[in-house]
Amino acid sequence: MRNFILRRAASSAIVLVLSVVTVFLSIRILPGDPVLLKYGAQTGATPAALDALRESAGLNHPMLVQLMIWLGGVVRGDFGTSFISQLPVSELVGQRIPATLELTFFIVIIASILSVLLVLIAIRKPGSATDRFIGYVTSIGFSTPSFIIGIILVYIFALRWHILPSQGFKPMDLGVVQNMKLMILPAFTGAMVVSPYLIKYLRTSILETRVSSYVRTAKGKGLSSSAVLFRHILPNSIVPTLTMLGMIVGFALGGVFVIEYMFAVPGIGSLAIESASARDYSVLQGVSVVVIAFFIITTFVFDLVCGFVDPRQRVLQVKSR
Amino acid sequence: MSDVLRVENLTVTVPSFEGAVAAVNDISFTIPTGTKVALVGESGSGKSLTAFSIMRLVDHPVKIQTGNIWLGNREISSLTDKEFRTIRGAEIAMIYQDPMSTLNPIMRVGRQIIESIQLYSNVSTKAAKIRALELLNDVGILEPEKSLNSYPFEMSGGMLQRSVIAMALSGSPKLLIADEATTALDVTTQARVLDLIDKLAVERNLSVLLITHDLGVAAQFADEVMVMYDGRIVEKGSVRQIFTRPMHPYTRALLDSRCDDTVDYSQPIKSIPGQPPRPALRDDKCSFASRCSFVQENCLSSTPTLIKYGDTSAACFHSEKIISTSEVF
Amino acid sequence: MTFEALKQMKRMKANLRGSASLILLLGTLAIFLLANVLSPYGPNEIGVGDHFAPPSGAHLFGTDNLGRDLLSRILFGGRITVLIALGATSIALILGSAWGILAGIRGGWIDEFLMRTADALMAVPLILFALFCISALGSSVASLILVAGILLSPSTARMARSAVKAELASPYVVSAVASGFSKVRLVWNEVMVNIAPQLLVQISINAASAVMLEATLSFVGFGLQPPNASLGTLILQGYAQIYNSIWFVLFPVITVMMTILVFNNYGEQLRLSLDSKRSSS
Repeated sequence: MRNFILRRAASSAIVLVLSVVTVFLSIRILPGDPVLLKYGAQTGATPAALDALRESAGLNHPMLVQLMIWLGGVVRGDFGTSFISQLPVSELVGQRIPATLELTFFIVIIASILSVLLVLIAIRKPGSATDRFIGYVTSIGFSTPSFIIGIILVYIFALRWHILPSQGFKPMDLGVVQNMKLMILPAFTGAMVVSPYLIKYLRTSILETRVSSYVRTAKGKGLSSSAVLFRHILPNSIVPTLTMLGMIVGFALGGVFVIEYMFAVPGIGSLAIESASARDYSVLQGVSVVVIAFFIITTFVFDLVCGFVDPRQRVLQVKSR
Repeated sequence: MSDVLRVENLTVTVPSFEGAVAAVNDISFTIPTGTKVALVGESGSGKSLTAFSIMRLVDHPVKIQTGNIWLGNREISSLTDKEFRTIRGAEIAMIYQDPMSTLNPIMRVGRQIIESIQLYSNVSTKAAKIRALELLNDVGILEPEKSLNSYPFEMSGGMLQRSVIAMALSGSPKLLIADEATTALDVTTQARVLDLIDKLAVERNLSVLLITHDLGVAAQFADEVMVMYDGRIVEKGSVRQIFTRPMHPYTRALLDSRCDDTVDYSQPIKSIPGQPPRPALRDDKCSFASRCSFVQENCLSSTPTLIKYGDTSAACFHSEKIISTSEVF
Repeated sequence: MTFEALKQMKRMKANLRGSASLILLLGTLAIFLLANVLSPYGPNEIGVGDHFAPPSGAHLFGTDNLGRDLLSRILFGGRITVLIALGATSIALILGSAWGILAGIRGGWIDEFLMRTADALMAVPLILFALFCISALGSSVASLILVAGILLSPSTARMARSAVKAELASPYVVSAVASGFSKVRLVWNEVMVNIAPQLLVQISINAASAVMLEATLSFVGFGLQPPNASLGTLILQGYAQIYNSIWFVLFPVITVMMTILVFNNYGEQLRLSLDSKRSSS
């Protein structure tokens, strides 16, 4: 078991480092001079002055050196300073993480419950009208960008029926009910972005598991169909779905950006969009690291859970390369 | 003492290119108490389907068209599905071909056995665990604690099948149906498992319905044998009778075509000519006729039904002739 | 009804569904690409109708806040979106297949390196990457095409690589290589043909993703600048005016959803027919 964990941790770490470096390099490679953008229009913006600013921001070093400096800082927890606000990036990002975590948490919970329910309804009679209907709705879900789902929900619940606010965020410590009320629409939007994948995968998984020999044995023992479902079919179906769930959290992160922006949730997603608009690369880098790390850690955790539920994973060294 | 199982007019249809056909075609048989019966036949003869139908483990589009089944004195074919569930596993238990795929791969073997125990009797998990260990002991597993905590993939085929047997016996059933239960095992393990089932049958007055395509296994193990061909039982009788004086041409041909130390190898192997029958092409004739070396005209104009000859029955118009012309095997 | 007849009907239905999705796809593309022929007004013509007029005979989709005909704007916007999608897909196809095929053929540490890079790229959420690329390059049709294309290539690369690996392991290739054929020539002539259907599926899926990406980027303000508008920018404008007119946001939304659906649907149908061919062969 320990070897399994170590192996997974090692490969996750490698991907993490690679992604972060890729992000850094891409930012640096791209044209666009943040100093110029920020200060270029001000008076006294002579080339010399601008250059001095660049020097102090460390932008004149060769790229690799910049990378090293930055990585060194990251390891120590210092993500640099925002070009725009001169505040430490770690502070800016740190402030925003709780909101994103809360949102992602709710999205995953709602999506999981919703998906499992819908799949259970759909597979009662595979190929029935209900099943196909759910299939169509899922197809549409696949093809709808997150912000459109947001628009639809906002229209129905905020503008037409006036039961939920269309924007905003209140941290937990200022009132749980308020917080929840404001979370509902963004969380459901995110859940509906993510559910189609879960539904499709889980459904296929269950249908396959249903016809396997051990399910027949379970029935042959005299177990009730619900016992067969919950003790034998679902656990075996969930195992492959768990891996997908891990990836889905990654997708969720991508959608979360837009959802945070739309619903004015002060999380790292909206921070990314804001800093991108302002060309504040320093902050963007910090956000990227956090987001990527989040994704990789989540995938890692799900891998572990998979290994816990399915003992075969721990033993088989199947590398799907 | 009544029979443990009585089946009458069981017909089961399956879909095919030409529509629904009867893969099990109006069969009837009984299994006396404390008897081991072998149901032999080639692939597609309908033997496994018979077993699944008795257990009601068939699902759409396979359909049980007709059939009356008695378990002891009780008519079980008219029970609702819910009522039948109390019988399944508890009074009739079934074991299957490949234990590795017929056990839940992500659940420990012990837990699956305990699941069965708790299904049939209201005991605590602790008590169930003790019972499970007893059962594992009974089936000859040397380190029951270890097996209890193992996953299926961690155990060998033989040990797994023993565990499956333990699980099947946890409800003290009256009848054990073994569907090709030893086919996936190597020959030595096969012998041991059969011995085990034999021993358990004697100890617990358990009746066994062994489904197999292996004549040797049937001969070694069973008290009575039923031969199936094209969805019908074409011969049934005591194992001695069947193997020494077969009364149906098919049974005879099967025995003729075996390869063991009694065969004269200077002659070519006597295989059965022709192809296995296609259920859709059934007609009002004997379905073995095209491959039969005793075929006469009337074989092609009507379907023979089982005719009793003392303790044996054979579905052939010309059994007497077969008996008189055959050597004793 | 006999089993055989049932199977025939199933096959026919599947074929029908496949053809229908292809027709829908080509139809959608045609409508957008022929925007200047089909649209009743110019996309930027201000004042051809009242502001926020609901749909009517003169303006099938109504008008926007500046009195521009919405249908025309959608047609032209769709054209831009589709062009961006097609461009991005082409880039992803060429870059991705080259990437994947190279990895598949060479194997060894080149393969490892290329695929780890792909993994690393895929670990970054699309939006994030797109965000700073666009912020640096500015938002123009070209930059959107480039960025989307590059971001969609890793998944194409993975798919191409596994397809190539599978083909290379198949008997006809192994025997050809054993007889002295060069791997590269084999791939070019034979293998490509065999993996083409799978690549086609990937193209449809990529196109759908490209449209989604472009729409999302535009919605958060990283799309084209006014007066040009892609479908995403139209939604952005519409949403801002949602209190004034539901139509302004409704029609672009429906259009975007349909466009993505059409691409996805075609890809799905292709994949289903591929799967069934593989299992029944």
